[in-house]
Amino acid sequence: MTMLSKATYGFHNLENIAEGETIIHRLNPLTKTITTFLYVVIVVSFDRYSISGLLPFVFYPVVFMSLGEIPLKPLLSRLAIALPFCIFAGVANIIFDQDTMLTLMGFNISFGLVSLVSITLKAGLTVMAVLILIATTKMPAISRQLIRLKVPTIFVLLISMIYRYISVALEETINMYIAYSLRSPHNKGIKIKDMGSFVGQLLLRSFDRGERVYFAMKCRGFSGDYKYVPTPKPPALELIYIISFAAAAIILRIVNVSDLIGGII
Amino acid sequence: MHMADALLSPPIGVVMAAVTIGAIAYSVNRIKKDDSFDEKKIPVMAVSGAFIFAAQMINFTIPGTGASGHIGGGILLAALLGPFPALLTMAAVLIIQCLFFADGGLLALGANIFNMGIIVSFISYPLIFKPIVSKGLNPKRITLAAIVAVIIGLQLGAFSVVLETMASNITELPFNIFVLLMQPIHLAIGLAEGVATAAVLCFIYSMRPEIMEGALSNKSIGPKSIKKVLIALGIFTILLGAIFSLLASSFPDGLEWAIRNITGSGEIEKAGNAYNVFDKIQELFAFMPDYSLKSNPEEGTSLAGIIGGTLTLVLAGGTGVLINIMKKRKVAKK
Repeated sequence: MTMLSKATYGFHNLENIAEGETIIHRLNPLTKTITTFLYVVIVVSFDRYSISGLLPFVFYPVVFMSLGEIPLKPLLSRLAIALPFCIFAGVANIIFDQDTMLTLMGFNISFGLVSLVSITLKAGLTVMAVLILIATTKMPAISRQLIRLKVPTIFVLLISMIYRYISVALEETINMYIAYSLRSPHNKGIKIKDMGSFVGQLLLRSFDRGERVYFAMKCRGFSGDYKYVPTPKPPALELIYIISFAAAAIILRIVNVSDLIGGII
Repeated sequence: MHMADALLSPPIGVVMAAVTIGAIAYSVNRIKKDDSFDEKKIPVMAVSGAFIFAAQMINFTIPGTGASGHIGGGILLAALLGPFPALLTMAAVLIIQCLFFADGGLLALGANIFNMGIIVSFISYPLIFKPIVSKGLNPKRITLAAIVAVIIGLQLGAFSVVLETMASNITELPFNIFVLLMQPIHLAIGLAEGVATAAVLCFIYSMRPEIMEGALSNKSIGPKSIKKVLIALGIFTILLGAIFSLLASSFPDGLEWAIRNITGSGEIEKAGNAYNVFDKIQELFAFMPDYSLKSNPEEGTSLAGIIGGTLTLVLAGGTGVLINIMKKRKVAKK
């Protein structure tokens, strides 16, 4: 139950943030998708014992989150979802990779510990990158770009319609759930014997709703196409932005800035 | 079972993405060729997708254990919509989960769609669910088919998570222990999920039998045609892997050469018994074998690295604070 309402809240919250009008919001969605993907690939490409090389990449989320006025709270709840399995893999490394990597102030630091920190850092950075993309881009803009990239219409329609109907489905589920728990108190979750009729009923309603939605769409001239106002191509300036972003990311991948700064001092 | 980006290496992520794009394109093609499919089905698929999203959050209690589970929905969608529409719907749901809920990473999308969508639509539905119920629909057969198909689908999915994580060389966890941890947990989850899925399908069959009959009568996918698809997918994966290993063996060398020149640190010999089974397997496939080397331990660990790293973080934080202050001033001026 809490999960359902949390999801509804998080969903609306993100939509509100995406309505913003900052410099990051105004970037073309395609530009943002390309840079996000680049960033994720480069962060993940670091080997599993690097930490200091990854640290300069913290600049991206910090700068973009302040420029895009993205609050920190949704980020933390998203991290909570992504982290457990990463930590599971990382903790395993502590157990199975105990060779000492270096000794610092009398403490032996193992390869495993270093790799746990590295995985956690990577998880944090990649989750932040996707959050920045989605918190500054509206869904219809993403769909239009997908069409432009020649993704099949039916798939784009599906993504944008599922997105539209998630809040409806969540609301309906919450209503039924409240009704169920009022009639069977002291029960966490739904009894498995009621699962068939509960979920089945919801599914049948969804099917009927889907048909009604179709009739309504048909009345407005739906023929299986995705109709939209064409978006302008990303301006040349944004191409320069993409190239400099890529160059910066690649340089930071090759040059360990943290070591350099430390070396100077 | 959603994998995060931090658990995958770029080559594995890209190979899985390519396989997934191939499977989605194939499904779109099959749907287009299917005469019984009209645009009317699109809203139905979309609303069911939204519903699956909500349904994954409904917890049911497992009697006698106090534990709770939830349905995954892959087999449910396949049984009601047919395997190809189900794959597209599941993929769309996973994309939305990745973007809006951080459930699974962006680079990991291909792997996640493969583990939770392709395996269900291309393996467990046509090879298990469909043959069992095709002799005639009745609640007993539906229950058996749903439970077995869900369990096998989840087992394959979990195993594929193990393979992808191992091939990415993220964890030091030995292969056999990893498998022993993942498979039994997912056997229990699969059993609970299978029973719940069976209950839902039986309910729908009793209320509206035509929905499942309609999905079944779709002749477009059977064990025979699926063989071809699987063979094609397999060949495609191997080819991609081969191309990537060629690329990987030339490209990172240059990168490492550059790193070595700049940081001045050479590769350090492998420490102790670092050669585990998977290192050998990985070398065999040569997916960026250097990832497994404990190379450059200086990188990120020297005192200079620690001081510099701390400074970098402070600088980054400072930049953020500075931007916020400047923004507030701008607003105040207005």
